[in-house]
Amino acid sequence: MTNETPIFEAKNIVKEYSGHRALDNVSIKVPKQSIFGLLGPNGAGKTSLIRIINQITAPDSGEILIDGKPLQREHVSQIGYLPEERGLYKKMKIGEQAIYLAQLKGMPKKQAKQELMLWFKKFEIDTWWSKKVEELSKGMAQKIQFITTVIHRPKLLILDEPFSGFDPINTNLVKEEIMKLRDEGATIILSTHNMGSVEEICDNIALINNSKKILGGKVNDVKEQFSEEKYIIEFKGTGVAFANAIWGGWEMVNNEQLGKNHAKATIKLTGGTQLNDFLKGIINAVEIESVNKVIPSMNEIFIRAVENESNSKKEVTNENTNQDG
Amino acid sequence: MGKIGLIIKREYTTRVKKKSFLLMTILGPILIVGFLVGAIWLGQQEEKNLKILVLDDTYVLSNTLLQSEKYHLTSSQDEGIENIDDGKTFLKENDQYDIFLYLPGNIVSGNTSVGKLFYKDAPSSNVQRHLENIVDGSIERLRLKELNISNEDYSRLKNKVQLHTIDVVSNEEKNVGMRAGVGFIFGLMIYMFIFMYGIQVMKGVIEEKSNRIVEVIVSSVKPFELMMGKIIGIMFVGLTQFIIWVMLSLALTTTLSLTVFPDMMNPQKMAETAQMEQVAVGIEIEPTNSEAEEVGKEFQDLIFNQIPWGLMIGLFIFYFIGGYLLYGSLMAAVGAAVDSETDTQQFILPITAPLIFGYIVAAMAIENPNSGAVEWCSQIPFTSPIVMLVRVSMGAEGLALEIITSMVLLVATFIGTTWVAGRIYRTGILMYGKKASYKEMFKWLRHK
Repeated sequence: MTNETPIFEAKNIVKEYSGHRALDNVSIKVPKQSIFGLLGPNGAGKTSLIRIINQITAPDSGEILIDGKPLQREHVSQIGYLPEERGLYKKMKIGEQAIYLAQLKGMPKKQAKQELMLWFKKFEIDTWWSKKVEELSKGMAQKIQFITTVIHRPKLLILDEPFSGFDPINTNLVKEEIMKLRDEGATIILSTHNMGSVEEICDNIALINNSKKILGGKVNDVKEQFSEEKYIIEFKGTGVAFANAIWGGWEMVNNEQLGKNHAKATIKLTGGTQLNDFLKGIINAVEIESVNKVIPSMNEIFIRAVENESNSKKEVTNENTNQDG
Repeated sequence: MGKIGLIIKREYTTRVKKKSFLLMTILGPILIVGFLVGAIWLGQQEEKNLKILVLDDTYVLSNTLLQSEKYHLTSSQDEGIENIDDGKTFLKENDQYDIFLYLPGNIVSGNTSVGKLFYKDAPSSNVQRHLENIVDGSIERLRLKELNISNEDYSRLKNKVQLHTIDVVSNEEKNVGMRAGVGFIFGLMIYMFIFMYGIQVMKGVIEEKSNRIVEVIVSSVKPFELMMGKIIGIMFVGLTQFIIWVMLSLALTTTLSLTVFPDMMNPQKMAETAQMEQVAVGIEIEPTNSEAEEVGKEFQDLIFNQIPWGLMIGLFIFYFIGGYLLYGSLMAAVGAAVDSETDTQQFILPITAPLIFGYIVAAMAIENPNSGAVEWCSQIPFTSPIVMLVRVSMGAEGLALEIITSMVLLVATFIGTTWVAGRIYRTGILMYGKKASYKEMFKWLRHK
C-alpha cells in the first residue's frame, strides 16, 4: 500500500486570508481505499483545506494531486463533499432536488433517478420522493444530504462532521455505509470532532492546529507514539507489598484495592526501566494476574497534542512580548 | 446541457411553477385592463341626458340657448315659474328636471358674468363646462346682434391656430408629446422589471446562503456560474412574464373593444369626447366633425406610423436585458454579502437611488426631451435603460451615434459590475455571521 500512488496528496499548502494565515505549509497523503481522519480544533484550518480540495478556493502556494495528477476542474465529478454547513432548497421536492444535485456532479438524469431510488430504499425513505424539504426533520434532511454526496460514486469523499444531527441508530447506519463505500473502492476524508468514531473507522489521521499539521500517520502508529510506558497490573496481594517490592525506575500513577487480597495498580516506568525487569522485581512480592499496556484514546491524544502546541506557542509569544517590553 | 444550463433551468422552472407567478402573470393584465376599462366606463356613465330648467331674467337668452339631445333645456316660463325661489322649489319637488339654471339680468352686460346652477345630483365638470359654453355662445350671439356684426364677419374674426410640429430632418409631422408618452411607458416597464426581478435575484442568493446549500453547489460548479445561472434564469422568468402580459393585454383589449365597448377604442369617438367643449359653443366656425376626425387620424397615425416599433421593441429588449444584468449582478452581490434580508437596507439604497433617479429623469423627458440632464442620463448606463427609450420614441433620427454609445457603455458597465459582483459573491456566500461592510467587500474584490 505504501508504494501505491496516494489517491490524494496535498503538498506544502499555504493559504492566507487578508493577513491571517489559514494554512501554513500543510502536507497530507491519503492512501487509496482508506478512511482518513482530518482532525483539529475549531478554526484550525480544516475547512480551508477542504474548500481547496473542492476547488471552492485556490491555495496561495502548494499543490494538490489527485491520483498523482494536479487537481483540475474535471475532478469535481470524482469528489463528493458533505460540508459541515449544509442544507437543501426548502421549497423544492426532495426527488427533484436530489436529481438536480446529481446532475450538477455530471450524472445523466435517468441514471441519477435510478440510483437515487435504490439509495432511498436502502435508507427506507422512498416515500419521501415528492415531499418538500421543509416538511422534513433535521435528521431526515441529513440522510438526503448524505445520499446526494455519494450518489455519483466519487473516488474521493469528503465528509465534514457527517454524524452531527443523527441519532445513534442512524449514526451507525451512516458509519456502516462509509465503511462499505471504502470496501467498494472509495477513499474517505473524514473531518470530525467525534473522536470515538475516528478510533472506530479511521485508518490514518492528520491533526491540524493553528494552521499547521502537528501530527499525522496511521492511527496505531500515532497511538504508539503517544503511549507512555504505562501499564495496568492486576495482582493478588496488597498495594503496600507491591509498592515496597522495588525501588526506583517507576512511579505509581494509581493504586486501587479491589478486594481484601486483590488490587490494581497503574504504573509508569521511568529512566529506561524495562517492563521485564520491573516484573522480575515484583514477582516475589505479589502474584501477578494480568499486565496491560495503557493505550491513549484519540481523545487524549487530541487534547495533549493541541495543548502541547499552544503551550509552546504561548512560551514563544511570552518571550517575544518580554523582548518587546 | 452544461452545468450553467442546469442552474438556469432550475431557477426558471421553480419560479415559473410557483402559484404566485401564475397569479401575477394572469392577474396583472386583467387588473391593468380592468382599471382602464373601468375608468373609461365610469367616464361614459355620467354622460346621461339631462333635463334643464332655465330661469332667464333677461328674457332673451333662454330662447337662443343651443339645444342638444343630451342637454334638453326648457324655459321656466313654460312651467309658469317667475323667480329663483320658485325654481328651486320646483326642482326639489319634481323629478322632471335634473338641473335648474338661473341666469340673472346682469349676465349680458358684464364681462365676467355669474349665473347659478342648482342641482340634485352633483353634475360633472363636463356638464358645468358645457352649460357655461352654451350660455357664452348665446351671449356672444346677442352681442353680435347689438354690434351689428354678421356671423360671417365674426367667423373671420375668431380664428383658430394650431401648430403642427415637424421634424426638420425627416420632414415628418409628429405628435411629440404623445410619442414621448409611449416611450415613457416602455421606460417605466424596464424600471419595474429591473426592480422586481433584481430583488428576486437578491432574495434567491440570500435563500441559498441561509439554507446553507450554497457550499454543496459551489463544490460542483464555479460560484460565478451559479451566480450567472441565477441571474439569467430569473431574466427569462421576467421575459416570459412580460411576453404573456403583452399578449394577454392585447387579447383582452381587443376582445373588450369588439364586444363590450365597441365605441371605446374608436379614435373618432375618443376625439369627439375630447372636443366636446368646442362643439358646445355652437357657432359654426368650423365643421366640428372634421376636427374630431383629424384628432382620430392623428392618434391612428401615432400608433401605426410615427412610433418606430421595430426599433423600439429591439431597443426595449436590449435595454431591458442590459439594465437588468447591471442591476441584477449588483443585487446578487448584496445578497451574498448579507446573512438575512433585514441587513440589506444599507446596500440596497445606493443601488436603487440611480434607478429611481432614472425614472424621474424619464418623466421629465416627456416635457423637455432635449435638456442636458436627459441627454446625459440617456448615456449613463445606470439610467440609460429607462431614459433612452423616451428619446428614441420621439424620433431616432440623428440619435444613432448616441444610441450606440449608450449601448456600448451599458454593455461595458454590466460586464464590469458582473465581474465585481462575481468576486464579492464568491467570498460572500461562504461567510456566515460576519456583517459585511463596504471595506470588507472591497477586500473580497482582491482575494485570489
